[in-house]
Amino acid sequence: MPTDQKVKLPPWRDPTRVNSARSFVLMTLGALIGLFLAGYSLFTARGVSTLSVPAEDVALVNQQPISRSDYLILLQTLYGVDLSHATREQRQKVLNDMIREELFVQRGKELDLASSDPEVRSALVNAVELEISEDAITAQPNEATLRDYYTTHAERYVSEGIMNVRDWVFPAGDPGDMAAALTLKSPDIPPETLARLHARESGKTQGDEFYFAAKIHLGDQLFAAARDLSNGTASGPIQLSDGVHVLYMAANKRPVPFDFAKARPQVLNDYRNHAIEQLKAGDESFLRKRANVRIADDLR
Amino acid sequence: MRFIVVVILAFLIGAAVFANSRSVERRLLRADPDALLADSALLRFAVERGRPLFLVHCATCHGVSGAGDPLKGVPNLTDSDWLYGTGRVADIEQIIEYGIRSRNSRAWSLAIMPAYARPHPNPADKNIRPLSPGEISDLIEFLFRQQGREADAAAASRGAALYTGDAGCYDCHSLDVKGDSAIGAPNLADATTLYGDGSRNALYQSIAYGRQGVCPAWIKKLSAAGIRETAVYVYSISHTGDVPNAN
Repeated sequence: MPTDQKVKLPPWRDPTRVNSARSFVLMTLGALIGLFLAGYSLFTARGVSTLSVPAEDVALVNQQPISRSDYLILLQTLYGVDLSHATREQRQKVLNDMIREELFVQRGKELDLASSDPEVRSALVNAVELEISEDAITAQPNEATLRDYYTTHAERYVSEGIMNVRDWVFPAGDPGDMAAALTLKSPDIPPETLARLHARESGKTQGDEFYFAAKIHLGDQLFAAARDLSNGTASGPIQLSDGVHVLYMAANKRPVPFDFAKARPQVLNDYRNHAIEQLKAGDESFLRKRANVRIADDLR
Repeated sequence: MRFIVVVILAFLIGAAVFANSRSVERRLLRADPDALLADSALLRFAVERGRPLFLVHCATCHGVSGAGDPLKGVPNLTDSDWLYGTGRVADIEQIIEYGIRSRNSRAWSLAIMPAYARPHPNPADKNIRPLSPGEISDLIEFLFRQQGREADAAAASRGAALYTGDAGCYDCHSLDVKGDSAIGAPNLADATTLYGDGSRNALYQSIAYGRQGVCPAWIKKLSAAGIRETAVYVYSISHTGDVPNAN
C-alpha cells in the first residue's frame, strides 16, 4: 500500500463527514447522561430524596429528614450507649420519639401556632437571632483584623485597678485634728492615735480592693478623690454628711493596658459580638425593607 | 472518533469512581462512629478525606498539626486530654457539628469561666460574687498546691475554703479539682493548660478576667459526610497508634 494514500474510514468514523447515524447515537448518549445526572441529583440531594432515606438521616417524615447524628446524640443522652451497644428496644424508642416530635412540629406549622402562641413566637424570634449569630461566629477574623479592632478599642483592654486605701472620719471636723492626721504617714495608725485625734476608721475598705469594689464601698465622691492619690499620700479633708473624711493611700495600682497577646481572647469575643450586632441590625433592616408594614392612622 | 470513545470511557470511569466513593461515603455515614476502628478501609477513607477539610476549616485556629495554641486558648487536639466529652468520634462529631458557645441551640454552652475581677463575674449567674485581689491570690496558691507545686500553705488553705465556698469553683471544676468534661470545665490538677503557661500570672489572668472560648458550628457549612470525615481525622491525630494517619 502506498504510504501517502489516506486510510479509508467507514463514514460513521470519519469526523469530516456528516453522518446521521453517528449524530443520532451521540445525541441519545448525551440525553442519557443528562437524564442520569438529573435523576441522580433529583433523587439523592439532601432533604429531597423520594426514593430512599439518605445515608445521613434515619427517617423521612413527610419528606422531612431526621438526622442520624441527632439520633445518635439522643440515644447517648437517654441511655448512655452508642449505636452498637443499644438494644433494639432502645433504638426503636428513640426513633419513635423523634418521629413523634417531627409529626407534632409539622402539625404545629399546619395550625400556624406561631401566629397565636406567645411561647412559639418567642422561641422563633430567639432561634432566628441565634441563627444570625451562628453565621457571624463561623467567619473567623484574621489576626490583622483583630489587631485593628484592638487598636480602635484599646480603652477596653486594661487591667482592673487595685487600691489599698484607709478612710478616716473626723466627726467633729476639728481642723487641728485633721491637720495632725494629715501628717501621719503609716497606713497602720494605732487606734489610740486615732482616738486622740477624735477620729475613727470608717471600715468601708479592707486591704487590697479592685477599683469597682472600692467605688462601691467608698461612694463616688471619696473614690474619685482616692483614685488620684499616689502611694503613701493623703487626701485633703472631704466633707460628707457623716463628718469630714481623710483618705490615706497605702498602695494604688492604676489600670494598665493589656498587650494584644493578653487581650486577644477578649478582643476576639468582642469582635464577634460586634459582628453579631451588625448582622442582626442588617437583617432587621432587610426584613423591614422587604415587608409590607401598614400602621394604623392613630399610631402613625 | 477515537477521541469521543476516550471521552466516553473517561466519563464512565469517572462515574464509576464517583459512584464507588458515594457508596463508601454512605457506608461511613451509616456506621456507628464509635465502631469505625473495626473497619480499617472505611477508617482510611475517612481520614484521607477528613484531612483537607480539617486544613480548610479547623487549622486556622488549631494549627496545621492540630496542636492548638495555649497563648490563644486553642486546645491541643493531638493529646489525650479532652475538654469536652471523652474523645470518642461521636463526641468530636458533635462538637464539629454544633460547636462550643457557637450560638447554635445544640452547642455545648453550659458554663463559662467567670471574670472575678469584674463587678458582675458572670452576667448569667447573679449568685457569683466578685473576688478581691487577695482572694484570687489565695485561689492560685490552692491550685498550685493541688498540682503538687510549691505554694504558700496559709494562702492555699484560705484558697481551698474559697474554692468550695464563696467562689463556687467546685461547681464546674468539681471538688477534686479534676474538672468535668460534660460541661467543658478543665482539669486544674494536671499539667495541661488551656490558656497560658500555667504560671501564677496566667492563672491570675484566667480567674480575674474570665474565659469563654468558642468553636463554630459547621453544620451549615459542611455536609454530614464531611463532618464525620473531619471527626475521624481529628480522632486519628490523637490516637496515632490506633488509626492510619493521613499526615
